[in-house]
Amino acid sequence: MRYFKPFIFSIIMLCLLSSVASAARIEISAPGEQTIPLAATHLLPMGAGYPGLAEEFQQALQGDLELAGLFDLVDPDAFLSDADKLGLRRNEIDFYQWRMLGADALIKGGYKVDGGKLTIELRLFDVITQRLLTGRRYVGKLTDVRNIAHKFADQILKSLTGEKGPFATKIAYISKRTGRKELYLMDVDGHNSMQMTSHRSIVLNPDFSPTRKEFIFTSYRNGNPDLFRKEIYTGRESRLSLKPGLNIGGRYSPDGREIALTLSKDKNSEIYLLGTDGTIHRRLTNHYGIDVDPSWSPKGNEIAFVSDRRGNPNIFIVDIFTLDVTRLTHAGKYNATPAWSPKGDRIAYSRLEEGNFNIFTINPDGSDDRQITFGKGSKEHPRWSPDGRFLIYSYDLHKKKSIWIMRADGTGRKKISAPGSNDSHPAWSGSW
Amino acid sequence: MKSSRKQRWQQLQSVFEPGFKQMLLASILIHLLVPILYYSPLFPQREIVKPPVYRVNLVNKIVKNPQAGRPEATVVKKKTKVKPKAKPKPKPKVKPKAKPIPAKPKAVKPKPKAVPVKPKPKPKPKPVVSQVQDKVRESALDKMRAKVAAQAHKDKIAALKAAALAESLIESPIVDAPVGMADGKGDEAGVSAIASVQEFIQQQWVFSEYQAAGKPEAEVKMAYNREGTLLHYKFIKKSGNSVFDESLTRAIVKSKHLPQALPEAMEFEIVFNLKDMLDK
Repeated sequence: MRYFKPFIFSIIMLCLLSSVASAARIEISAPGEQTIPLAATHLLPMGAGYPGLAEEFQQALQGDLELAGLFDLVDPDAFLSDADKLGLRRNEIDFYQWRMLGADALIKGGYKVDGGKLTIELRLFDVITQRLLTGRRYVGKLTDVRNIAHKFADQILKSLTGEKGPFATKIAYISKRTGRKELYLMDVDGHNSMQMTSHRSIVLNPDFSPTRKEFIFTSYRNGNPDLFRKEIYTGRESRLSLKPGLNIGGRYSPDGREIALTLSKDKNSEIYLLGTDGTIHRRLTNHYGIDVDPSWSPKGNEIAFVSDRRGNPNIFIVDIFTLDVTRLTHAGKYNATPAWSPKGDRIAYSRLEEGNFNIFTINPDGSDDRQITFGKGSKEHPRWSPDGRFLIYSYDLHKKKSIWIMRADGTGRKKISAPGSNDSHPAWSGSW
Repeated sequence: MKSSRKQRWQQLQSVFEPGFKQMLLASILIHLLVPILYYSPLFPQREIVKPPVYRVNLVNKIVKNPQAGRPEATVVKKKTKVKPKAKPKPKPKVKPKAKPIPAKPKAVKPKPKAVPVKPKPKPKPKPVVSQVQDKVRESALDKMRAKVAAQAHKDKIAALKAAALAESLIESPIVDAPVGMADGKGDEAGVSAIASVQEFIQQQWVFSEYQAAGKPEAEVKMAYNREGTLLHYKFIKKSGNSVFDESLTRAIVKSKHLPQALPEAMEFEIVFNLKDMLDK
């Protein structure tokens, strides 16, 4: 009896050891599929239906999901009976049907219109584990349908990638649709376009404040290219910098406390830092070459800019504390309009080759220079989405300018400008 | 006219440099010499060797100790009972012929399907009352439909037969290549259980590069019974990235049943990471 316990213990240990030894070891170093099969059902009425509402919601949501590049949408024609049931709880859903269709994730939703008030309930389910991944109830006006779709698309990305999407944000841009270059605002999918200025001159280079609902831009309203600030909701506008010569290319620092811009008050274009009250904090460059187009690093300690100090226009980086300048691009004869990714890992810019600009991205240390747009026409003024997953840019083909959106690797290109609108110089807002 | 031609010819000759004709003759001779030399025994013709074509059977039986599947390893085994299994493989022409055979009984089935259509008209004569003519017409229509359906089945069968025949005509230059793994060292015709399970679980794993953050790695222990049903699984090490770990849980749930039975109950320790995806 004295040796019974040690005996049993040793037997168990031997069993465990033998089982460990018999387990075959496998390494799987890449997934078999890189897009998530997703079924997005139509919104169903929770009461009386409202014509066209579900279709508009579906169009906005599907556009966002397709652009995300993360999903493989299941063909709605293949949907079975469960798609016609308003089941928002997991025990009300026939997951087996969705498994049969090969869906890994499922979107279900319902809406209610009460007077002018719209309520939309949305759910994202994991079909495999039959779990609710995320659910939201949105309340708004009937005109908010698209915005609700964008917000839920952001939520879906947050749930599946851990990082919120950028679809419920805004894009500022310059349009010549009235015959003069004015500032406009629109949704990321190009809807809800709104004119923001009526300067009847030339408006250029918009940029959003990262902390407040306002933007800065350059306008020739008073004859000189001055820097303006405009509050979006109140419409209040003021001149922020009106130095003689150029006041162009203003960009807010990531903390929103300073603005980098080009001034030519001393007869030569140099990069300066301004306070939000318009006072000059410091001069960052001091060279007889032309220095323009500043773009902040997300940490706020460096600025990429364009300079012809070595002959041709190229991208350089200046450290705002030490004022050390390093050259970023060496290839190509004309590199311009840099935009530093909010993640800090890439800088997008446009390069002139064979008479056309194309967009390239490069590491901030100058390595891994990659062309991401191709073909005819000029693609310029790239700007990053707040999550760094997408880029917008202006596309000039046969003197017709439009704004396009694409993923950061150059895939999924999509025009978001209205036909014949002549749009350029886009800027992407932060979270809205 | 003649004199003008002569004049022109003389003008043309005056343009040529002295010795042009000899040079032209020499050039033509050299050009002729090139193909003659090319086809002479001095330059032996090399026959173009066609690259080997390997026929891969993707639905091979899962075995514990797969044999080598390389063509040079043909005559490996003599000892075990596995040998007779290997024998039919050297006859690839026979194999594809065997495939269409199961299709034939399928083809026969539709015929009886067409037959039960016939009984339908039979009950129709029962109400012999007034609408006899209509019913006769209906029965005639039914017969025609049955005929059309039978013809469609026949066409399908013919198409299948043609496809099978076309497949049977494809010849592998390495007729005696054994069925196995490239690195196989065992004596069974088939593929390794480990490789098969690895392939299947990888297919079930869905993860996008847009979801990737850092270099996540997780380790999971999975135990299958002989029938290929998952008995239990356990995360030995989680990655710390919930999106990554959840994608693995989904892959595991989807891998509950393996497509084929295993040679025995087996346990796997599977390391999941994104090395290959992030390297691209």
